Amino acid sequence: MSGDLLQGRLIVVVGSGGVGKTTLAAALALGSAKEGRRTLVMTFDPSLRLKDALGVGEAAKDGPIRVVEAGPGFLDAALLDAKRTFDRLVRTHAPDAAAARRILSNRFYRDMAGNLAGILEYMAMERLFEMQASEGYDRIILDTPPTRQALDFLQAPDRMMNLVDSKAIRFAMDPWWEDAGRKTLALRIALKGAMELSDRVIGRRFLLDVVEFIRAFAPLFDGFRSRAEEVRRLLQAEETRFLLVAGPGPDRVPDAMFFLRKLQETGHHLGPILVNQVHPDPGAAAGREPGTVLLRFLAERDQRGLRLLRSLFPGEKKIISVPLEPVPPGDLRTLGLLFDKLSKAAPD
Amino acid sequence: MSVLDRIAERQLVVVTGKGGVGKTTLAAVLGRLLADRGRRVLLLEVDPRESLHQALGTEPSGGEVVPAGPGLSIQNLQPGAVIEGLVREKVPIGYLARKITESTAFHQFVEGAPGLKETALLGHAYRVLQAGHRPRTDLVIVDAPATGHGATMLAAPGLLAQAAEGGQLGEMAAGLADFLADASRCGVVLATLAEEMPIQETLELIALLRVKLGLRPELVVANGMYPALSRGAAPAPGAHLWQARRRLNEAELSRLAAAWDGPLVELPLLPLDRGPALVQALASLLREADP
Repeated sequence: MSGDLLQGRLIVVVGSGGVGKTTLAAALALGSAKEGRRTLVMTFDPSLRLKDALGVGEAAKDGPIRVVEAGPGFLDAALLDAKRTFDRLVRTHAPDAAAARRILSNRFYRDMAGNLAGILEYMAMERLFEMQASEGYDRIILDTPPTRQALDFLQAPDRMMNLVDSKAIRFAMDPWWEDAGRKTLALRIALKGAMELSDRVIGRRFLLDVVEFIRAFAPLFDGFRSRAEEVRRLLQAEETRFLLVAGPGPDRVPDAMFFLRKLQETGHHLGPILVNQVHPDPGAAAGREPGTVLLRFLAERDQRGLRLLRSLFPGEKKIISVPLEPVPPGDLRTLGLLFDKLSKAAPD
Repeated sequence: MSVLDRIAERQLVVVTGKGGVGKTTLAAVLGRLLADRGRRVLLLEVDPRESLHQALGTEPSGGEVVPAGPGLSIQNLQPGAVIEGLVREKVPIGYLARKITESTAFHQFVEGAPGLKETALLGHAYRVLQAGHRPRTDLVIVDAPATGHGATMLAAPGLLAQAAEGGQLGEMAAGLADFLADASRCGVVLATLAEEMPIQETLELIALLRVKLGLRPELVVANGMYPALSRGAAPAPGAHLWQARRRLNEAELSRLAAAWDGPLVELPLLPLDRGPALVQALASLLREADP
């Protein structure tokens, strides 16, 4: 059986870039479907190979695509796209079509909204929330975006709430150049100074674009706030497990430690740790070709990494070593084989 | 003129690529090679989790400039610190500067303004290169953040210049964008691995740099190549894994070569841990391969 691997209604797969998160998330999701669960895997920017393996294309950006039927279980896959999710949210939650158009055509929104810090992460959370709320799934496996910190998304709900509550927003709703008559003389002088300074430094047009954007967006804020709160609760729920994927070797241990510390500090529940792409020992009979010599070094290096990680987590049985595949999985059959190997490697 | 000769004439070299492809090690290798040619090189690291110092065997920078052998120093730089430094410089009254940098609105602005953080980092590199700056620096190598596509960083000043047109900030950003567009002064080096996703992203990045910024990388380096197959000899037991990985390397490399006709260097996976010995070994290999 799959041991601890498939525990939780929501499994969030985290780790640094390039460690094989997306492939492992897909293999786990396939395994979950075969165990009879209605499963959804949500992923960012998978490789062409994996897209082919799952048989998903552009259409999966708009909604889940059925990949496999397995008796009572099935596997759906959805691709996450920040801009599309943002556009859809605006259309869904704006009070009317005119308001939606106002936002979608705002220069700041068009050029910058996709670049705002944490927006990709936040949009992932929005999609997750939609999917979770639909109750069509027994289990959702979320592959996390390849950001530098890769844990930014944990702060995404908080950041969105901060933004909604921030002085900057309140200021934009009531800027200094309006209703000057209501303000005292001293305040007016101070504001005039502030205005000239920011005009000089930031540029008036930019400021106006931002203010216009925030005003158009304001009716949506309450919805954002309440969903952000619910997403945070969902991420910290007992039913949600964070599964860390780490690269092999001692050089990667600090990365893994960073994730583990962050997750613990923020009160999230940790599932198994998968140390991926571990080089197997070629064995004494393998001779002394350059490739074999290198492989011996890599196998020894990766064991050193595992020992180091285990020594930092004494008594932790959930550190699972996953061997490097000669050829990465390219179809459902090989993804299924990968899941079988994962299950065997996982302690019950 | 070899590729390294050309890179040595630049003032700013941005090393970019997906996370986990050996970008930091490559930045250190280039730093070492160019410093050996008599250039005074500063290596700027942007990732808050420092690792450049490990590659070169120095103390962590913690924001300071740390010497890393003849002609070479490293600095880990956080955009927040650079921007706060700028505010302190522009607002000479300490109390006022503190009020600004401690305000929520300021932090929101720093987080939200498009391209501001990246522009601040590149702006720092630009300042370090100015004649009056001490210690003198001839060349800055930026180990770019792994976030999404490296093009984001290079496009940032142009984006900010457009957004903040008409203000001092916009003018500063426009000046920087011009500097970055000057191929005789600035160059881009791409690090990758000969595996599917890294090659895919490298191809996308090359196209993006060309279309959006009119830039062509000076060099693409494929790191971590498994050793070549020995022809004829019967494969030893246990050799299956590295041979399969090598074949994958070769297939992906030819996919890259089909779309990229510029300089391409392969660097092998070596039986060495990250550190000065690895940097030294790769530096000799890159010098020999210099196309």
